[in-house]
Amino acid sequence: MKKFLALVMAMAMTLSLVACGNAGSGSASGSGAETAELTVGAIYINSKNDTAGYTFAHHNGIVNGMKKLGLDPDKQLFIVDEVPEDKQQVLAAVDTLVGQGADIIFGISFGYIDAMEEAAGLYPEVIFSHGTGYKSNETNFNNYFGRAYQARYLAGIAAGLKSLETGNNNVGYVAAYTTAYAETASGINGFALGVQAANPDAKVYVKNLGNWADEVNEKAYAEELINTFGCGVISQHCDSAQPQIAAENAGVFGCGYNSDMTGDAPKAHLTAAIWNWDVYYATAMQAAMDCAGDASKFVETMGGPAYYGGLKEGFVDVSPLSANCAANTDKAIEAVKAMMVNGEWDVFTGVKLSIAADGTVTSADAALVDNAGNEIVAAGGPSVEDGVITGSMNYLVAGVEEV
Amino acid sequence: MSFHVVKREACPLWKKACFYLLAVLAALTLGGLLLLAMGVNPLAYYSRMFTMGMVGNKIAYKAFENYLKVFVPLALTSVALSLAFKMRFWNIGGEGQFIMGAIAAATVALKLGSSLPNAVTLILMCLAAMLAAGLYGVFVAALKVKFGTNETLMTLMLNYVALYILAFLGDRKADWNFFLQAESVRPVFQSFADVAAFPKIMLGKFGLNLCVLLTFAVGAVIFVYLKYTKQGYEISVVGDSAGTAHYAGMKVNTIVLRTVFLSACLIGLAAAFKVGTAGVLSTAITDDVGWTGIIVAWLSQLNTAVIFVVSALISMLHYGSVAAAASFSRVDSSFANMLQGVILFLVLTADFFIRFRIVRTQKGGKDNGNG
Repeated sequence: MKKFLALVMAMAMTLSLVACGNAGSGSASGSGAETAELTVGAIYINSKNDTAGYTFAHHNGIVNGMKKLGLDPDKQLFIVDEVPEDKQQVLAAVDTLVGQGADIIFGISFGYIDAMEEAAGLYPEVIFSHGTGYKSNETNFNNYFGRAYQARYLAGIAAGLKSLETGNNNVGYVAAYTTAYAETASGINGFALGVQAANPDAKVYVKNLGNWADEVNEKAYAEELINTFGCGVISQHCDSAQPQIAAENAGVFGCGYNSDMTGDAPKAHLTAAIWNWDVYYATAMQAAMDCAGDASKFVETMGGPAYYGGLKEGFVDVSPLSANCAANTDKAIEAVKAMMVNGEWDVFTGVKLSIAADGTVTSADAALVDNAGNEIVAAGGPSVEDGVITGSMNYLVAGVEEV
Repeated sequence: MSFHVVKREACPLWKKACFYLLAVLAALTLGGLLLLAMGVNPLAYYSRMFTMGMVGNKIAYKAFENYLKVFVPLALTSVALSLAFKMRFWNIGGEGQFIMGAIAAATVALKLGSSLPNAVTLILMCLAAMLAAGLYGVFVAALKVKFGTNETLMTLMLNYVALYILAFLGDRKADWNFFLQAESVRPVFQSFADVAAFPKIMLGKFGLNLCVLLTFAVGAVIFVYLKYTKQGYEISVVGDSAGTAHYAGMKVNTIVLRTVFLSACLIGLAAAFKVGTAGVLSTAITDDVGWTGIIVAWLSQLNTAVIFVVSALISMLHYGSVAAAASFSRVDSSFANMLQGVILFLVLTADFFIRFRIVRTQKGGKDNGNG
């Protein structure tokens, strides 16, 4: 027993010695850096040390956005992570961050919505910015999301051209949800319209995961789409690269999401619809600094309560095309991307694009129709409202089948 | 050479305290080494953790309010579990009973909250939660009494039944589902904070939630109940030996049913306190108190007064480590959870050495008494 005690004592003593040494060096290296003044707070659904997935993408965006503006993430960023979508826990996280002196607080998960709204009222001197939500006020509370459907459309073109090349008209899509969320429905529809622009005979089969992240079923559903429905290209709206890995194993092709998945499936991956979250975070943090301490000017400085950037802002994009892509994919994607960037055309309109095998793009008026035959936009009509894409889109377009 | 475990006759209080202290120190040392490996100064981290980030915090009173929000459900749930444990009824179903209570309380708040005064709503919420949780618990006790089923397995599995019911309610948009906001396209739990919220006693800026006082009151009642009443005595006799209790003429089955009902009722009350403070349901509403409460009850050796002390410490660890992790970019909440785990594990190890000692078995069958 004495031995045991001695051991513990020794451990405790070692700790205090090493700790003291570290304290000294830590403070010495900390001084001297000149940085802009803004304290940033963030509330994450998963760990800030994640190496892939949703929280990782946002964390990267915040850190890179801060670096762009000359802010030091080590000193000026405070994070409460692994916060479930529980109002009381989110509000406690807000209290912690406000207590640390945060000037702007980002909440990245949809379920934080009511807590963020309440917090914005409780702390009018702090800016609140909520990802994927729809609530806001006129002063210190906005929401942000992006036109991922535009990037999806471009990835759809790559998939459509590939299906033409392989002669297999069946395209698969593993989706977290389908029509339950406008986010997923618009993603599926954007992708399917892109596929159809290149290959009018293509059919998109969608499997509904019923979960934002479920690695086991993400793989199993991709395999089912390949084996049962004969799909030759697999796209996805889910967290992991499992559907791409399944495509690789089966010798078919795929389009990833969130990050370039070519590394996960080098022989299968074509291109992925990706987010550049730092584009928004840098914009918002710059706006926060421009407010010069008056948080109530934030929404005005941002130009509105809802930020909804797309290809034009560089907020969404497609990852570099891999060598697996069909010929002329790059040419077609460049042309269509330019049309969306300069505002000439958008996805959910009454104008349909056709992409020839040589990559040239032509447009013609055609109604946008859902898979039950209802007309959504008449031929030649304008785009559906942004509110539909972010909130009420609850249908799948013609040529898409949920299986 | 072989060893065997011998029960300690008695361990003086100072020795116990030393064991626990050493366990905590060892855990902090381990955590400190990990922090060093991550390039974080352990002293800076620990000082933030033990002060729960309240030093130099311009809204420290908020931090303390949030700390109490963690403390109240944990303390009450632990007290409730200790009742059943004292009778050697292994109620692992705190999570499920808590969820059932929370759903019942939310139902009352959403259905009746707008037409009744706040106080009446709150009382009805507490009663509904106690009844729902109590029935969910006593159901298992009835099966055990009637058919001799294993209560550990039953309560454990019913946790998941409750959890999935809650997840279903939180996920399924439908006309009947009044738990969700009608106007939201996506499923979001409907708030009822404006019609049912426990009042706060304002002490300057700090708001002392009424639930805190009620929790201490319930704790005092249970302390007296266990120590000085006939029913409390019956619980300990049944726990020590059901056969003896039966021989002494006690109605063992009735005592089991009554005590488990009471235990689950109190967990329901904890849920009502939580829901009545949060003003909204969530799938993470339990904050794992049903699990943590088991550890608290054991560490406190089922002593009601000690439970309050241990709950306060564990809540401090829980809340403090999250507050500390916020200010260190390399430390995430997983580290906080791991540290809690290591501390609990080592404290339980110390607990083992307080109750038992390991001696070398000698050929003659005698040990040398070396401790």
